[in-house]
Amino acid sequence: MEVIYLLIPVAIALAALGVYGFRWAVHSGQYDDTETPALRMLMDDTPAQPGDTSV
Amino acid sequence: MVYEALHEAGFDSTYYHYRNLTPNGTNAQPATPSVDAFRLSEFDTETFLKKHTRRLDGGFRSIDLYLDGVHCAACVWLVERLPFERSGVQEATLDLPRARLSLTWNQDETRLSDIGAWLGTFGYTAHPLRMQQSSARSAAEKKLLTKLGICWALAGNVMLLSFALYSGLAYSTDTNLTIFAHWTSLLLALPAVVYGGSTFFQRAWSSLRLAWKGRTLRNLHMDTPIALGILVGFSNSAWATITQQGEVWFDSITVLIAALLTARWLHLRSRRLAGEATDRLLSLLPTLARRITPTGSVEAVPAEDLNRDDLLEVRAGDVFPADGLITQGRSTVNNAVLTGESKPITVAEGSMVEAGATNMSAPLHMRVRARGSETRIGQLLAWVQEGSSQHGTFASLADRLSGYFVVSVLTLAALTAGLWLFLDPSRMTTNVVALLVITCPCALGMATPLAMAIASGKAARRGLFIKSDHAFETLTKLGTLVLDKTGTLTEGRMTLVAYEGDEPALDLAAHLETESQHPMGIALVSARLGCALPSVDMGDLPKPDAYEHIGGQGVRGRVDGHDVLAGRPEWIATQTTTFPMQFASAVTQYTRLGYSPIAIAIDGKVQAVCAFGDPIRSSSQAILDHVQAEGKTVYILSGDHSEVVSTVAAQLGIPLSQAHGDVTPEAKRTFIEELQSRTTAPIAMIGDGVNDAAALQKADVGIAVQGGTTASLVAADIFLTRPGLQPLMELMTGAHHVMRVIKRSLGISLVYNVLGAAAAMLGVVNPLVAAIAMPLSSLLVVTSSIAQRSFQPLQPLTQTPTSNQVMGLPFSTPQRPTGT
Repeated sequence: MEVIYLLIPVAIALAALGVYGFRWAVHSGQYDDTETPALRMLMDDTPAQPGDTSV
Repeated sequence: MVYEALHEAGFDSTYYHYRNLTPNGTNAQPATPSVDAFRLSEFDTETFLKKHTRRLDGGFRSIDLYLDGVHCAACVWLVERLPFERSGVQEATLDLPRARLSLTWNQDETRLSDIGAWLGTFGYTAHPLRMQQSSARSAAEKKLLTKLGICWALAGNVMLLSFALYSGLAYSTDTNLTIFAHWTSLLLALPAVVYGGSTFFQRAWSSLRLAWKGRTLRNLHMDTPIALGILVGFSNSAWATITQQGEVWFDSITVLIAALLTARWLHLRSRRLAGEATDRLLSLLPTLARRITPTGSVEAVPAEDLNRDDLLEVRAGDVFPADGLITQGRSTVNNAVLTGESKPITVAEGSMVEAGATNMSAPLHMRVRARGSETRIGQLLAWVQEGSSQHGTFASLADRLSGYFVVSVLTLAALTAGLWLFLDPSRMTTNVVALLVITCPCALGMATPLAMAIASGKAARRGLFIKSDHAFETLTKLGTLVLDKTGTLTEGRMTLVAYEGDEPALDLAAHLETESQHPMGIALVSARLGCALPSVDMGDLPKPDAYEHIGGQGVRGRVDGHDVLAGRPEWIATQTTTFPMQFASAVTQYTRLGYSPIAIAIDGKVQAVCAFGDPIRSSSQAILDHVQAEGKTVYILSGDHSEVVSTVAAQLGIPLSQAHGDVTPEAKRTFIEELQSRTTAPIAMIGDGVNDAAALQKADVGIAVQGGTTASLVAADIFLTRPGLQPLMELMTGAHHVMRVIKRSLGISLVYNVLGAAAAMLGVVNPLVAAIAMPLSSLLVVTSSIAQRSFQPLQPLTQTPTSNQVMGLPFSTPQRPTGT
C-alpha cells in the first residue's frame, strides 16, 4: 500500500489544477451570465441575407 | 413601425422564429421605435466617451450599455447581429437577464450614436450604465464563489481520506498510513479554515468586540458560535495529529465551512438580482442642455458644464436641466416629479422653475440659477445617496438567538467536562470537542439566508424586488403605514370625474382637444371619444377647423360649424355674456373639493362645466380597510393641494388628521423622523416620486412603486413593479410566510442541536456520527426552505360595494369609460 504515498499527492496536484481552472473561470466572467449562452446555442452561424426565409 | 424596420432589414422570419424559443415565455409588449437624436448625440461627446468607455488596442473602444426593451432570444439574436450590420463594430454581446450589452467598436468608423439609433429603430433604448455599484457587488460575489468552490474541493478530498479512517484505519494497525492520512487531512483542512473560515472569524471577532464594549450578549450573531466550533475542532484535531492520538474532525469542519459559504453565496446572489432590477439607473436629470451663445446660436452642452447665469433653451417636452428663472416665453410646466402635483402650472417671464420638471407646451428661455448638485433635486439625491450607505447591519432572529446559544453551548461543554472527569477522564476532551463540533450551528446558520434567498426569488417573479434583508422581518411588525397619494392611492393621471350640462357640448370640446398635449385635454378626449392620444385613427372624426391655444387659459376653435371655447371658468366668463347660476355653483363645488373645473361655451353660451381629477384606484379602498382593521395607523402625505388630499382621505376612510397635503419633500422626511421618535413599531413609507425619496430612506421600510423615479428606487428597500396597493398586500402576506418558514427551519436545527448535544454528553458521538448527522440536519433545513409557499399569486380582496369610487357629489357622473 506504500504506493498511496505517491498517489495521494498526485491526486491532490490534479485537484489543484482543477481548482486553478475554476478560479480562472469565475474571474474571467464565465459564471456571470448562465442563461444567454443557452439561447445563443440555437442561433445559426451564417447570417441571414435579406429576404432569406429558409431559417 | 418596428415591424417595418425588421422587414426592411430582412430579419422578420428569423426574428419571429427565435421569439418563440425562449423557455419562460416573453412578456413582450409591442415595441415602439425610440430614436431621440438629441439624447443620442451625447454618446459621441468626449466627456461621455471618457467617462463610460474603455480604450482598447487597435483604436477600438468598449462600453457596457443597459438596453431597455430586450426580453427574449430573438432580441439577443437581433442585437448580436450588430457586427454584421454596422462596419466598425467588432463585437456585440448581450447578457439577457441583466439586459446588458457589451460593445466593442471603432468610434471613427461608426459612431456610437449611429449604433444607438440602429438599436432604437427596433425599440431598444440604450443607456449608459452606472458602473460603481453593480461592479462592486459582482466582484464580492465572484470572490465568494471562488472561495466556496475551493472549500468544496478541499472538503471533498478530506472526506475521501476520512472514508479510510472510518473504515478502520488506525494507529494500532497501520501506523504510517494513519499518520499520513491525518497529516494530509490537516494540510488540506488548513487552507479551508484559514481562507474559507476567515469570513466567519472576522465577523465573529468584530461582534465579540462589540459585545465586550457593550457588556451584552445582544450583539453576538450567528458567526460567533460557528467560529468557535471551527476553531476548537481544528485545533483539537491538529493537536491529535501531532501527538498521534485522539479523534480527528477535519471532515466535519471542512464540510461545515463549505456548506455555510454556499448558503451565503446563494443569499448574496439573490440580493444582487433584486438590486440590479432597481439599479437600472436612467438619468433623472438630462445630461445635455441647449445653451444659447452670445451670438444667438444654440449649442448642446453637458448639464454638468452649465454655469450660473447661462441662458438656456428648453423646448416643449424637454426636462429642465437646471433650476432657473424664465426670461422669455410662456408655457405650462409639470412638477409631478418633485411635488406629486398632477396639475400643470403656468409659467411666464419671471417665474422660477426647477430641474427635473417637464416643460409641456411651449419653448422657453431660462437663466440658470443653480445647477447639478446645487439644484433642489440634486440636493435630494445627494441626501438619499449618503443615507443609503449608512444602513446598519441587520440582526436577524437567528443572530439574536446566537448570544444565548453560545452561552448554552459553553455551559453544556463545562457540564460534559465535569461529568466525564468524574466518569472516565480519558474520554473527557473527546466528548467536549464532540459536543462543540456537533452543536456547531451549520443548519442554524443556513436557515435564515437560504429562506430569504428563495423567498426573494419568488417575490421577484411576482414583480416585488426586495433589496434589504431586514425588510421581511420588519414588514411583519409594522405599526404605521405612510402613503403617498399620487400614483399610489390614485391612478396618477387626470381623468374626467364629473360634469354638469349638455353632453354634446362635451363632445364638441373633446373634438377640439384632439391635438392637445394638456393632460386635461387628453382626459377629455379619452373620456368622451374613448381613445387615447396620440392616436392614428382619428381620421373619421370631424377635425376642428380653427384651433387657437390661449396660454394658460383655454382653447378656442370651430368644430362642425360651431364656435367652441373650453378653458378656465374665469376666462370663459370674460368671453361670454352670461354664466348661468347652476354652472357657477358647480364650479365652486368642484374647486372646493380640489378638482380642476373647466367650462365649455358653444356659440357664445356656457353649456357645460366639467371637473378633472385624479381618480382613486379601485384596489385602494379594500386594502386600506383591511390594513386599518389589523390595527395599523395609516397616514397620507402628499405634495398635492390639501383640498385634494382631504377629499381622497374622506373617500378612503382615513381620519382627516392623518392626511396632509402641500407637504414638501423635506417635510415628508421630518414627519417620518417625528413619527419614529413617538412610536416604537416600525414605519413603512410607500411612494414613487422624488418628493418621497428622502422619506423612503428614513422610514424603517421604504417601498417604491412602479413608475417611480430613480431617486425613489435608490432610496427604497423594496421596489414594486405593479402599480397600486395590491402588490403591497402580497408583500405583507409573503413576508409573514417567510418569517414562518425561517422559524420552522430554526426550530428544526435547534431540535437537531439538542439531540446532538445529548448524544455528545452521553459519549456516543465520534467523527463518523458527526459526519453523518451534520449534513443531515443541513439537508432538512434546505428542504424546509425550498418547500415554502410564500409569494403565491393572491386573490384580490373583495371590495365593499360603493356606487361610485370617485366621488359622492349630487351631480351627474359620467359612465366609467371602458378601457381606462
